[in-house]
Amino acid sequence: MRTLVFIPAWNEEASIAAVVADVREHLAGADILVVDDGSTDQTTARSRECGVLVATLPFNQGLGAALQTGYLHALREGYDCCAHLDADGQHPAAEVARLLAEVEADRADLVIGSRYRDPDAELQSDDYKPTFSRRIGTGVFRFFLTLATRQRFTDTTSGMRAANRRVMSLFSENYSPDFAEIESLQLAVREGLRVEEVPVRMLERAGGSSFLTPLRSAFFIFKGVVVLLVGQFRPRQHAEAER
Amino acid sequence: MSALPLAAEATQVHLTSQTRIVAAIIAIFFMLLILDLIRRDRLQERYSVIWFVAGLGMLAGAAFPGLLELVAEAMGVRDTNVALFSIVLLLLLGLALNFSVIMSRQAAQITRLAQERALEKAREQAAEERNGGAGSKRERA
Repeated sequence: MRTLVFIPAWNEEASIAAVVADVREHLAGADILVVDDGSTDQTTARSRECGVLVATLPFNQGLGAALQTGYLHALREGYDCCAHLDADGQHPAAEVARLLAEVEADRADLVIGSRYRDPDAELQSDDYKPTFSRRIGTGVFRFFLTLATRQRFTDTTSGMRAANRRVMSLFSENYSPDFAEIESLQLAVREGLRVEEVPVRMLERAGGSSFLTPLRSAFFIFKGVVVLLVGQFRPRQHAEAER
Repeated sequence: MSALPLAAEATQVHLTSQTRIVAAIIAIFFMLLILDLIRRDRLQERYSVIWFVAGLGMLAGAAFPGLLELVAEAMGVRDTNVALFSIVLLLLLGLALNFSVIMSRQAAQITRLAQERALEKAREQAAEERNGGAGSKRERA
């Protein structure tokens, strides 16, 4: 099993080295690719110093495009499975390993790390405390995505995922640059892929603040709902036939 | 009579000759401008077709006001000028939408181009590290 772990990073020079080291420690067999989404800081240089491959996008294109770059690389280089996690240090690599185990065991095509789903108490730690506007957004997206996919999702915007080749070939061709996380879940379910959530432990972000102000949150939520609605009317692709 | 007038009952307001002449002149200049832009490679032919059709439409409207009056009647408006403005407005709306479609396509193309370039650079880096004797590097292409 060849595994690629890719890390989309936009101006994360402060945390990228630690994230790479964490991945190396907990996912020793995996290759690592940092996708620098047009950072204006030293993200690319810091990553290269760690000795990992870096795909540097010439200008900032948004998370969706960065993630798609990773899926494209994984597909073309013939990896059996891939995973990605955020570059800001919120996602412990040990948890990513658990997601990958699900994909490797072929229990799912796409596995999402959920910070909300909590079957055992040990995971219900105080590590992660969402803000108020995030809680609203989470609730709205959860509701609409569950409605659209008829499958229960708790953490719709999670950036910690593991996937197999079916997902790679789907996402490397169809991945919304604007609403990467939510629309991709809808797409995967519509294409008949097995999508599964696994409870994970996430950490409070090490530095910096979230980009979401209340007004932006409202717009973000509105846009997400429109995207989901439109997504319901998209023609299906061919992934089902490939299975 | 009916409380819900379906069409204008008063007599139609026609385009004046002056309006028709002005429209014809504008349409001709407009088409000349488009031809000139194509000639100087400032406008690609495939994007000019729609503008040329618009120019021809303007010219037809000026030359045969009967066409516009038919449209006005069908729309239920008394004033042919209103019909004219409505049509132009709809046409512009359509063009704006057309540009959004083109823009979206080009945005997707630009994204893919950037991704290809980024991955190419990563492959170059991998090849460099293999050849440059950086023995401790575990990454592969």
